[in-house]
Amino acid sequence: MRGFKWVITLLLLSGVLIGISCTQKKDEKKTVVQDSEPKYGGSLVIDVISDPKSFNPVIAKETSTTAVTGYIFEGLTQMNPFTTEIEPHLAKSWEFSKDGKTWIFYLRDDVKWSDGKPFTADDVVFTFNQLYYNKTIPADARDILTIEGKEIKVEKVDNLTVRFILPKPFAPLLFSMGFDILPMHVLEPVVKAGKFNSHWGVNTPPEQIVGTGPFLLSEYVPSQRVILKKNPDYWKKDKKINRLPYLDSIVMLIVPDQNSSLLKFQAGETDMLSMRREDYVVLKPQEAKGNFTIYNAGPTLSTTFLIFNQNPKKIQEHKWKWFTNQRFRQAIAHAIDKETMINNVMFGFAFSQDAAMTPTAKFFHNPNVRKYEYSLEKAKKILLEAGFNYKSGILHDKDGNPVEFTILTNAENNERVNIGNIIRADLQKLGMKVNLQPIQFNTLVTRLDSTSDWEGVIIGLTGGIEPHNGKNVWYSSGQLHMWYPKQQKPATAWEAEIDKLFDEGASELDSEKRKKLYLKWQEIVAEQAPVIYTVTPAALYSVRNNVGGIKQTSLAGVIPYIEEIYKK
Amino acid sequence: MAQKSNFRIIINRLRQNKRAWFAMWIIVALAFFALLADFISPYHYDEQNRTKSYHPPTAIHFVDAEGRFHLRPFVYNYSLVDPVFKRYEPDTKKIYPIYFFVKGDGRLRLFGTDEPSRLFLLGSDLHGRDLFTRLLYGGRISLSISLLGVFVSFILGLLMGGIAGYFGGKIDNILMRLGEVIMAVPGIYLLLALRAIFPVTLSSAQVYLLIILIMSFIGWAGLARVIRGMVLSIKEYDFVTAAKAIGSGHMRVIVRHILPNTLSYTIIAMTLSVPGYIIGEAALSFLSLGIQEPYPSWGNMLSAAQSIRVLTNAPWILIPGIFISITIICFNLLGDGLRDAFDPKATGGVEIK
Repeated sequence: MRGFKWVITLLLLSGVLIGISCTQKKDEKKTVVQDSEPKYGGSLVIDVISDPKSFNPVIAKETSTTAVTGYIFEGLTQMNPFTTEIEPHLAKSWEFSKDGKTWIFYLRDDVKWSDGKPFTADDVVFTFNQLYYNKTIPADARDILTIEGKEIKVEKVDNLTVRFILPKPFAPLLFSMGFDILPMHVLEPVVKAGKFNSHWGVNTPPEQIVGTGPFLLSEYVPSQRVILKKNPDYWKKDKKINRLPYLDSIVMLIVPDQNSSLLKFQAGETDMLSMRREDYVVLKPQEAKGNFTIYNAGPTLSTTFLIFNQNPKKIQEHKWKWFTNQRFRQAIAHAIDKETMINNVMFGFAFSQDAAMTPTAKFFHNPNVRKYEYSLEKAKKILLEAGFNYKSGILHDKDGNPVEFTILTNAENNERVNIGNIIRADLQKLGMKVNLQPIQFNTLVTRLDSTSDWEGVIIGLTGGIEPHNGKNVWYSSGQLHMWYPKQQKPATAWEAEIDKLFDEGASELDSEKRKKLYLKWQEIVAEQAPVIYTVTPAALYSVRNNVGGIKQTSLAGVIPYIEEIYKK
Repeated sequence: MAQKSNFRIIINRLRQNKRAWFAMWIIVALAFFALLADFISPYHYDEQNRTKSYHPPTAIHFVDAEGRFHLRPFVYNYSLVDPVFKRYEPDTKKIYPIYFFVKGDGRLRLFGTDEPSRLFLLGSDLHGRDLFTRLLYGGRISLSISLLGVFVSFILGLLMGGIAGYFGGKIDNILMRLGEVIMAVPGIYLLLALRAIFPVTLSSAQVYLLIILIMSFIGWAGLARVIRGMVLSIKEYDFVTAAKAIGSGHMRVIVRHILPNTLSYTIIAMTLSVPGYIIGEAALSFLSLGIQEPYPSWGNMLSAAQSIRVLTNAPWILIPGIFISITIICFNLLGDGLRDAFDPKATGGVEIK
C-alpha cells in the first residue's frame, strides 16, 4: 500500500472525495441548479464503505479516515472545484518574492478553533515544523513538501503572517498549501510526549477533536455511523452574511459494500449516492418515484491502464526484450478496444483516455498526444515491422520464442477484470498467448512494489490536476514508476527527458511555460507507451431532490462546498 | 454370478423408485450434453460478440414480419439501440434461418445461423459470449471436477479407513485423529485456506488438478471413519482369516477381501457427497480462486451475477445457478434411491457375501 500514498494524499489535497470548503469569491461562475432559498437546519445522510481508522489527518492513509477529517480540518488554500484554480482559504492572501523563494501568507483574522481559541500563525508554523516535517510522524505530506531533499523553512512573522522560505522556486507550492492545519494549543503537549501517532484515535471523545472546519465530530459508533455536527462559529458566511454551514449535521452510515449503498439509497435511508456505472440502469427508472435526480459529473480523475515489466533481470530475458521494445508496446496500444470497454464494461459512462493527464485536469491536459485507434491490422503490421513473425498463427519473436505472458489485475475490481478480459481476447487474436490472472489487491501491490515478479499488470491510479504530484510515478527514481521503479539513473533516454521536464516544471513559475513542459511530457508518454491507457469512468451521483446547493463539478462531485448544502 | 444378480436386483429396485430413476436420467443427460459440448454448442466458449453484450435470449420465429409461415425456424439479427440499458432491436427485414449440422470453425455443430446473426438460446454475458455454450463447457468442468474429486477422495478414504480398521492400535489412532482434525475445521474455510497455500498464478490445468486435490484432501476423513468401523467387524469374518491363512499380504487382504464388502455403503456415500464437491468448486470459482476466465465453470459464471444490475436487467446470467441446484437435487435423490435399493432389509436382500 505504501506506493499508493500519493493517490490518497492527492485526494486529501484536492478534496476530490468530499468538497471541503472555499470562499464565496467565485459565485458568479457557478451554474445554479436549485432556485429555492437556502435555509438552516436538517441533516444530510450519506454512506461510507468502511470505518475511519482514526481522526488524525496527518497520519491518515485511507480515504475512510480523510472522508471524516475533511469536514473538520482546513488548509491555507483550496482548489476551486469548478476552475481548478487555487483559492484563498485559511490564508486570505499571499505574495512572493521575485526569485520565487520567499512566500508570505496572510491569515484570516476571523477564524476560531472549535474550542474557542483563535487561529494564528503559531498553528501554521507548528503544523509544518512539528507535524509534517517531524521525522517520527509518518506523514505522507512530507514527500510532497520536500523539494529535492530539502525542507521548506516556515517562520512566523506576526500573529497572522507566515513566511515560507524555499530552497528553490517551487511552482506547485500553492497547491501543496491545502494540507490541513492543526491546533498547536491542543497538540503541542502530545507531540512533546511523543504520543502524536496514536493520538486522536477512534476512541477519542468527540469534543477533544478540535478543528476549524464547517463540521465537528459528534458521535462515532463503530460499523454503524459517524455523526458530524455543525460548527456554530465557522468563519465562512454566505452572500447575505449569514453564518455557514446551513446543515445541522451530517450522518455518515457505514455500509459493508457498494451493493448495500445502493439498497440504502433505494430504501430512502440516504440522501446521496456515489453511483457505480452499473447502478444507473437500476436507478434511472425510479428517478421520479424515488424523488431523486441523477447527475453525470463527467470524467473522473481515475485511470485504468496496462503496464509491462521493464525491470531488468526480474523476468525472462526474451520477455524483457519485448516489453522494453517501444514498437511492441505501441502494437498493444492499438489492440485496446476502448469503445467496447466504454459500452460494455462501463455501460456507456466512460471516456477514452489518451494523455497521461485526464481531461478533467483542464489546464495541464494535452489533447494533441498520439492516439492509438483500435486496429488489430495496424497492431499486426507494427509487430511484423518490429521483427516478430507468425508460425502457424502463433506470434514468435525474431529469436523464435512464442509470445506468451500473464497479465495480473486485482480480483476485487470487476471493471478491471472485465477490461482485462477484453484485452486478453484481442491479444489472442494477434497470436499471443495471454493468461489473465485476477489476484488479491495486496498481493498485486507486493509484486509491483517489492518482488517485481510480474509480466503485465492492469491497474489504476487516481491522478490529480497538479502534474508535479505525479512525480513519484513519472520520475525514473519514483516509488510508483511502476514498470521499473526506483532506478539509480534513468534506464532510457526518454525517461531521462521526463525526469528533466519534471525538474524544470517544478521550478518554473511562469504558468504558460510550465504548461508547455508538461504537455511535452505527455507527448513522450504517449509516444513511448510505457503506460497503455484504457478508459476513464464518469462520476455519477444520485441526490435526493430535497437537498439544495448541488452543483456539478468534475473535481468534487456534486457537492462543491459542503457548507452551502441545505435541506429544502 | 451372485454379484451380477445383486446388481440386477438393485437396478430393478432403483427403477421402481420413480424420483431416483428420473434424477439419474437427468444426471446422465447433463453429463451427455457436457461431453458433447463441442458438437452441441453453437459457438466457441470464448467468442466475444462485443456489440451483443447482455443480449437477452434470442426469440425463435416461424412467422415473419409479413405474416408468412416458414417451416424452417429462423431468427432476426439484433442491433444495440441503447448501450446503457442494453436494449436490442431486431431487424425484421432479413430473416436468418436456423440450420442443423453446420460447419463452423472447422468442426461440425448441431445448429447455427448465418453471420452476423447469433442464436443465443439462453442470452449472452457481459462480453457477448453465448451463455448456452458456456453452460455446456462449464458443466464439463464442474461435473468432471466433482466426480473426479469424489473418486480420489473415496480411494483415499477407503484406504485410510481400511488400514486403520485392519491394523488397529497406533496406526488406527494416528489416522483417525488426523481425520478428526480435518473434520473439525469447517469445510469452506479449509478449502480457502488450502487454496491460499498454493500460488495464485497457475495455469488452468494446474488449477483444475489443484481443486480436485484440495477437495479430496478435505473429503476423505468422513468416509474413512465409517469404513474403519465396518472393517473392524468385517476383519473378524472367516473369509478374512482364510485369506490370511493362504498367505495373502495385508494390503491384498484389505483391498481384495475387506473393502469390496463396504461397496454398497461406498456407492451411496459417493453419490450423496457429489453435491458437496459441486458446491466446493462453485465456491472457489465464485471467489475467483478456482477456474479462471476465459474457461467457464458454473461457479465462475455465477460470480458474474453478483450485482443488482444483473439481477434486475439480465436475469439469465443466473441460469448456471439453476443448473447447480438441479444437479445437486438430482444427486441427492439418486443417493436416496440407491440407499433404499441397497437396503438389505428390503425383500430379496443384498447382504455381505
